[in-house]
Amino acid sequence: MTVPLLKLEGVSKVYPPTVQAGQRFRAFLQLLWRGSASGGTGVLEDISFEVPKGESMAVIGGNGAGKSTLLKIVTGVLAPTAGVIESRGTTAALLELGAGFDVEYSGLNNLHMNAAFLGLSPEQVEERLDDILAFADIGDSIHEPVKHYSSGMVVRLGFAVVAAVRPDLLITDEVLAVGDESFQKKCIRWIENYLADGGTLLMVSHNMYQVQKLCRHAIWLDGGQVRASGDVFDVTQSYLAWHERKDAAETDVRQQRESGTLYRVTAMEFPGQESASPVLEIGQSLTVGLRLRSPDGRPPVVLVGLVRADGTPVYGVASDHDGLELVVGDNGDYEVELHFPSLNLLPGGYAVRAHALDPEGLRVHDTTEQEFTVSGRTRELGMVRLEHEWRQS
Amino acid sequence: MTREGRHLLAALVLRDIRSRFIGSASGWIWLILTPLLLLAVYGFVFGVIFQARVPEGLDIPFVAWLAVALWPWLAFSEAVLRGSRSILEHSSLISKVAIRRELLVISSVTSAFLLHMVGYLAVLLALHVLGTPLHFAGLPTVVVTLLTLYVLALGLGMGLAAVQVFVRDLEQALPTLFMFWFFLTPILYAPQMLPDQYARWLNLNPMTWWMEQIRAPLLWRDLLPDWSLLVMAAGALLVLWLGWRLFRRLSPFFEDFL
Repeated sequence: MTVPLLKLEGVSKVYPPTVQAGQRFRAFLQLLWRGSASGGTGVLEDISFEVPKGESMAVIGGNGAGKSTLLKIVTGVLAPTAGVIESRGTTAALLELGAGFDVEYSGLNNLHMNAAFLGLSPEQVEERLDDILAFADIGDSIHEPVKHYSSGMVVRLGFAVVAAVRPDLLITDEVLAVGDESFQKKCIRWIENYLADGGTLLMVSHNMYQVQKLCRHAIWLDGGQVRASGDVFDVTQSYLAWHERKDAAETDVRQQRESGTLYRVTAMEFPGQESASPVLEIGQSLTVGLRLRSPDGRPPVVLVGLVRADGTPVYGVASDHDGLELVVGDNGDYEVELHFPSLNLLPGGYAVRAHALDPEGLRVHDTTEQEFTVSGRTRELGMVRLEHEWRQS
Repeated sequence: MTREGRHLLAALVLRDIRSRFIGSASGWIWLILTPLLLLAVYGFVFGVIFQARVPEGLDIPFVAWLAVALWPWLAFSEAVLRGSRSILEHSSLISKVAIRRELLVISSVTSAFLLHMVGYLAVLLALHVLGTPLHFAGLPTVVVTLLTLYVLALGLGMGLAAVQVFVRDLEQALPTLFMFWFFLTPILYAPQMLPDQYARWLNLNPMTWWMEQIRAPLLWRDLLPDWSLLVMAAGALLVLWLGWRLFRRLSPFFEDFL
């Protein structure tokens, strides 16, 4: 069994109250006597995970979910309130833009200082100086004080130093986003090489594409707790779906205007699926079962739409488009199924919306919605998989 | 301390020293010039205006009496004050980079002490050139004494830096307290000048011991230290140990309170 490079067990973090001088003083005395302070706001709750050597793990989550606090604790900048952290090997972290830089000094001076923070000796820095400068690629600005740097230049320099250290565990917190396109590519290439050479990565990012490209596993933090963890594709997809649903829920509230419900959709279900909001593979079939009611015995028109969870329409079709007239059943309801033999949607959260229209197909009277999720491992972009083939002479 | 730790400490001390001179054109000249100018001012104010005299029998110019003790005190007090502020000053570094926090205190104390030692050397040489009889053979003893003073400053700086993160009032109070301490120590005056009922209390101030142990070799050619140096060394080490304990106890929580 290999020993993990990093192991967290039941890690919690509570920020003590520090606003008033009295609170600070009480906390001070408590820390002296008991080694812990009482009260405060909880940021992380019972986080446990392991990062084996060679692993690449992403930490994702909304703002204020505790991602940065988690990385700070892992780096050792912050002490956890409870729990144990074990780490082996060398660690280098890029926690923040220009962390550890003194803006009064030149880039070169800061380079030396940062290298010393990361444990490089002056001789090692001298050896690797050309590489670092080449990687940062900021030219003669290296002799300028850092206060004259753009944020991109600061990141270039910071990353170049870390790249020269080649730590066992690399920790980055959403810093690459500042660099320009070419530098981001350079960094990503470097990280890919580093991972291929057996390096280990723990990163925070809001860029799910980057996360999927670089990481094999992911942890989704929500309100200081692990909401999901595992394969990067599963976790990022459910995370994105959650976001889209949250956005949609906000806009939907405004759209909930009842429009004289005459023709109604009384039920919508997915026959053959156990769950009410099923999870499908890419290309799987999906059947939508519908039951409609008409107030006057005239058959309604049904319009079925597929939307992305944020409401972006993907596809919609109505029964009258295809010349179908609904047939009334014994109980006075109109029952109909719509079958998609292969639903080539890309992974994400989706919803089926069914609208009941009047027989003329002019006015929407009722709407119901049912969610479903498509999962799968793919880096394809967009919402649907189009038939395609590559050709080469 | 690990090799990386030593490299980092050296880099921090160097930067600390450099930060004093950054932007000043002639930079390092001031390192020597400031103490010499200060010596001239003290010489003029106390020697010419106040006509200050050391008590009969000691037979030393007042300026020499003052200067020999003043610079070690300046080194000590500035080292402690800067050390105690070092954690707050570097708060942005502490919250972003995983470095051993004690290095920040050690580097602040060390650089402040070192800078004043350079000044001290310049002052001693100037006194010598001006014809004051100094016994440079006593230097080794003085160096050992100064080393214990440095250890004391390190211990105090370490403990106060940790406490200051939580109790910010200290930042305001410490300079005043150190001013009291300065006047309670026989630096500007000789113990013999005090009325008897006060003179007895003077030895309760440990700094009196240090000043005595620094003056004796240089001014009176007491080349070998007496037993009091051992007590001072033990005391300084005890303070260092306590300061270190306090620092280690509180340092994991610095980030929360900065």
